[in-house]
Amino acid sequence: MIDLVQNTIDGIMIGSSYGLLALGFTVIFGVMRRLNLSYGPTIMVGAYFGTVLYLDYGAGLLAVAAAVVVGSVIAGIYVERLCFAPMKAGAGIASMVSSFAIWMQLEQAAILVLPRHTYPFPAIGGGAPIELGPFFARTDHLIMLASSLALAAAVQLLLYRTRYGLGLRAVIANPVAANLVGVNVKRSIMLAFAGASAIGGVAGFLVLAVDQQVTPMFGMWATLKGLIAMIIGGLGSIPGAVLGGLLLGIVEIHSQWQFGPQVRDLFAYFVLFTFLVARPGGLFGRVPEDGLSNRA
Amino acid sequence: MLDVSDLVTAYGKIEALKGVSVHVEGGKITCLLGPNGAGKTTLMMTIAGILGPRRGSIKLAGTELVGLSPARIVSRGVALVPENRLVFPDMSVHENLLAGAYQRNDKREIASDIERMYARFPRLKERHDQLAGTLSGGEQQMLAVGRALMSRPSVLLMDEPSLGLAPIIVAEIFDIVAELNRDGTTIFLVEQNAHMALKVAHQFFLMEQGRITFQGTPGELAEDEVIQRAYLGTRRTDQAGEESGR
Repeated sequence: MIDLVQNTIDGIMIGSSYGLLALGFTVIFGVMRRLNLSYGPTIMVGAYFGTVLYLDYGAGLLAVAAAVVVGSVIAGIYVERLCFAPMKAGAGIASMVSSFAIWMQLEQAAILVLPRHTYPFPAIGGGAPIELGPFFARTDHLIMLASSLALAAAVQLLLYRTRYGLGLRAVIANPVAANLVGVNVKRSIMLAFAGASAIGGVAGFLVLAVDQQVTPMFGMWATLKGLIAMIIGGLGSIPGAVLGGLLLGIVEIHSQWQFGPQVRDLFAYFVLFTFLVARPGGLFGRVPEDGLSNRA
Repeated sequence: MLDVSDLVTAYGKIEALKGVSVHVEGGKITCLLGPNGAGKTTLMMTIAGILGPRRGSIKLAGTELVGLSPARIVSRGVALVPENRLVFPDMSVHENLLAGAYQRNDKREIASDIERMYARFPRLKERHDQLAGTLSGGEQQMLAVGRALMSRPSVLLMDEPSLGLAPIIVAEIFDIVAELNRDGTTIFLVEQNAHMALKVAHQFFLMEQGRITFQGTPGELAEDEVIQRAYLGTRRTDQAGEESGR
């Protein structure tokens, strides 16, 4: 029983970072109705910015965090300008395929810059785990959970309580109608991309600070975790993204505890598969009446 | 008020507008009639800045609108109630109206304008918290009109406000059009429902195959002929050929 609860706590901690990755994904998907496969790799670029600062210049934790976020945003805008802004309506596949190409490009660039496979990344928190009765939690996990929840709440507030959020929701609902009420659709999309990349940057920083290492494969890892959590939660839903991430984290930790680390990802894909078959709209999403085809 | 001259808008190689000139007089209701595929919606979308014309000019009180972004055109005072209404379905009625005032910064004035909309459309007030997607077609049309009015336009463009609505609701919508006009709004209306449109319009234009083929005041042409041409066009055989060739 204690193990069950402890594993669930750990799952929630780990899952909060998945939730954050899914949140960035969901903002991009919600706005564009297009899949950005380069999402994870842009975060990896940010992470390399941070690592270089840390290794070569001995930068502090905050400076590294800022570098990861800024690097992610720059790489995110690069992807938006190249793969999304120039593609016409109805060419969603072109965006997806070109974002795959940029994924490969960013990964190779990272390998060229830092040719060793693994590089160290600074840790956060540290110190002894905090005890809560029979359970305990790592401080870096707690920081990760708190940051994730705070950021998700901030995004929710931004979308539902501000003028910019109103405009962005208008773009999400119908870009033509948004244009007609005077929203600058192109600028909104670029800002949304930048914001999503910043969220991804925070998620990336937190995950890497817990792992204390970074590899070029981090991009693929981030894309996959974010994508799975987003699909479980429901495309385009913010609470869905967070809950999808938490659920994915809980499932992974429990399966790892029961059957060992080699089956952890197997279970993640199994959950994804189950959702795609039984509830393709995810926890909170719904399949739009017009499907995705005519906007993709 | 609004002067469109020699406007050409094309989709690829196909010219949907082949040199259209329209004059919309201030304080009046001007109506654009014509069969399906004549280019009426294309004209509206071009004026609103969603489509870029290949040639020609659109002037609002002497200022050129061609080349401005849709957002700029809204803030200059031209608002479009689009075909099929296009309300934001996942936003409340209140939020839809707020979105209509996106280009404005005067918070207090916006709030009082929303109250004014509620006074004009009591049913929107009743449903102010409801998601726009759950409204009936007629209510959505009123919301789309209210949303467009929230930008305080000097010219209101309306693209087929009667589309898909029951006759009794259509009559209500046209009452609103006439009322808005009496309050001083200049209206440029696209309609399929020629019979209703001719009742409220001060002037009308007939558009066929991307060209203006007649302009005048209701009564200048027998209603029967207007309706015949508005629905079917004059060169029926040509048009059938062109349409099947597309």
